[in-house]
Amino acid sequence: MSRRIAEHPILGVQEKGEKVTFLCDGEILEGYEGEPIAAALRAAGIMKHRYTKKEHTPRGIFCAIGRCTDCVMIVDGKPNIRTCVTPLKQGMKVQTQYGVSPKPFEKQ
Amino acid sequence: MKRYDLIVVGAGPSGLSAAIEGAKRGLQVVVFDENEKPGGQLFKQIHKFFGSKEHKAKIRGFVIGEQLLKEASELGVKVVLNATVTGLYMDKELVVKIADTIYHYKGDAILIATGAAENMVTFEGWTLPGVIGAGAAQTMMNLHGVKPGNRILMLGSGNVGLVVSFQLLQCGCEVAALVDAAPRVGGYGVHAAKVARCGVPFYLSHTIVKAEGEECVTGVTIAEVDKKFQFIPGTEKHFDVDTICLAVGLSPMSQLLKIAGCEMEDNPKRGGQVPICNEYGETSIKGIFVAGDVSGVEEASSAMIEGRIAGIAAAQYLGYIGIEELEEKFEENKAALEGLRQGMFAPENRGKLIERTEEGIPVSMNLLTKGYIAEDEIERYPGVTHRAGIHPVMECSQNIPCNPCQDACPRHCIQIGSHITSLPVVDESAQCVGCGLCVAACSGQAIFLVQEDYEPGYGTVTIPYEFLPLPQKGEKGYGLDRSGQRVCEAQVMEVKTAKTFDHTNLLTIRVPVDMVGKARFYRKIF
Repeated sequence: MSRRIAEHPILGVQEKGEKVTFLCDGEILEGYEGEPIAAALRAAGIMKHRYTKKEHTPRGIFCAIGRCTDCVMIVDGKPNIRTCVTPLKQGMKVQTQYGVSPKPFEKQ
Repeated sequence: MKRYDLIVVGAGPSGLSAAIEGAKRGLQVVVFDENEKPGGQLFKQIHKFFGSKEHKAKIRGFVIGEQLLKEASELGVKVVLNATVTGLYMDKELVVKIADTIYHYKGDAILIATGAAENMVTFEGWTLPGVIGAGAAQTMMNLHGVKPGNRILMLGSGNVGLVVSFQLLQCGCEVAALVDAAPRVGGYGVHAAKVARCGVPFYLSHTIVKAEGEECVTGVTIAEVDKKFQFIPGTEKHFDVDTICLAVGLSPMSQLLKIAGCEMEDNPKRGGQVPICNEYGETSIKGIFVAGDVSGVEEASSAMIEGRIAGIAAAQYLGYIGIEELEEKFEENKAALEGLRQGMFAPENRGKLIERTEEGIPVSMNLLTKGYIAEDEIERYPGVTHRAGIHPVMECSQNIPCNPCQDACPRHCIQIGSHITSLPVVDESAQCVGCGLCVAACSGQAIFLVQEDYEPGYGTVTIPYEFLPLPQKGEKGYGLDRSGQRVCEAQVMEVKTAKTFDHTNLLTIRVPVDMVGKARFYRKIF
């Protein structure tokens, strides 16, 4: 089931940017240019953004306004990018963050 | 270093209102906001506001946001976005991070309108992906058009928890339950009632034991708590959900004021650490003002008025206007503010159990514990009457500052009077024509049109309806009672939409005559 709201009873059909594709852990996903990366991920059903350094436990969207940093990921090679406030662009490379690395812990 | 007459931090309802009032009086004003878009939380608020005309009642939050932005831009207010103010120092010097660069600004006057941040509670599994803040849910669905989850449990029965639950239902999510550790619903009864009639069960005196799931939320367990908020063994209840939404209050984001050296106090009634300020919002440091949630958590309507007052006071502080103008404008705005701070939900009543309305009518206890007014309670309210022909039934049972229904009726059937918190009364001498303007005007969606003598054995109920798909005329379904239980078969007789209704559609359903006092929602047969 799609997570996108096709038409909202109050807001109608929401304006979106151009449809773009981006990579998440090597998988090609679709989203809209300018929407937060986190919104595109949630729409694609992706819940986990990172694993913590010490306990290796998963984290996802929590505040969605750039305050809590739970949703940080590696974006175009740069770690600790708050995906909830970073606009999506065509061809972006998004990776799950393990600690601060793109490599799963067993490979670190 | 660039200088401005007035630097406003935060482009939400209070910051923009202050900027507008300052600019109107000739001040050169800049507003910094850390977000990509201005408007603060207004653009996430899609319900109609309460209050009276001067408080922009009946207008949806995001529309108010658009109005404020337009007014500010017409007055030449500069709004700088993606600009995080990281420090406020001596002589009103501000450090602002814009993109990757740090800038310094100097304001002759400063207004801090940074708002509030969401509170959180911890429980086993609270860090799992799928546990989100209510604000996050609003941001995802109302700004970005993405459902935060498919099946959600809401923790918190204050206005945020209630309003966001309804918004989740509106965008097609399922709300499995609304839970609060408090023994009574904290927000407006009308907000609770519109969630309850959609079939969402309320669990007061309950809280979350744990969020379940290995990698993300797959379920939740709640349990009843005693008076000391300790779990009562054996009362656990499980729900399959993919999302847990937390709406457990807000705390002022007052850090900048602390950095600046303003005198602060810890005031639980205001939500936490707040600056000590005078009636104009001026802090202990001359020329540094505050407005909105940062000086005490309330809501957007009062934040806008506080912003206006502080903006005018800043103009006076800088010598752009005399003290007379400030005092005159202050009196007007103070009256508007006092209007909003009346009734059962006035700041001084926070946490108190109020057992009777101002009219002396017992408050519905079922509303406070289950989210809806019970059958044996509803008849006690003055808006609930029986008569021949079509007429409004107003299930408005709490004294809240709100009166759009009174102005909505072209035939003057509805009276609240000069006291804005009074319960609406039906004027028996005026003749209702069934136009439905009152139904659409009620921000609490608590007005229904009832006709008991529609045809032999059947009556009609007209309900406010803000969901998609919109039912079709002739369609058959069920009438749901105030608790969301199916009580009868119902047929859609009419669906009215009009620009003046502002997306509140009027659905007229035909139900058996003994159900006209019970059926308050409609659901199609699938």
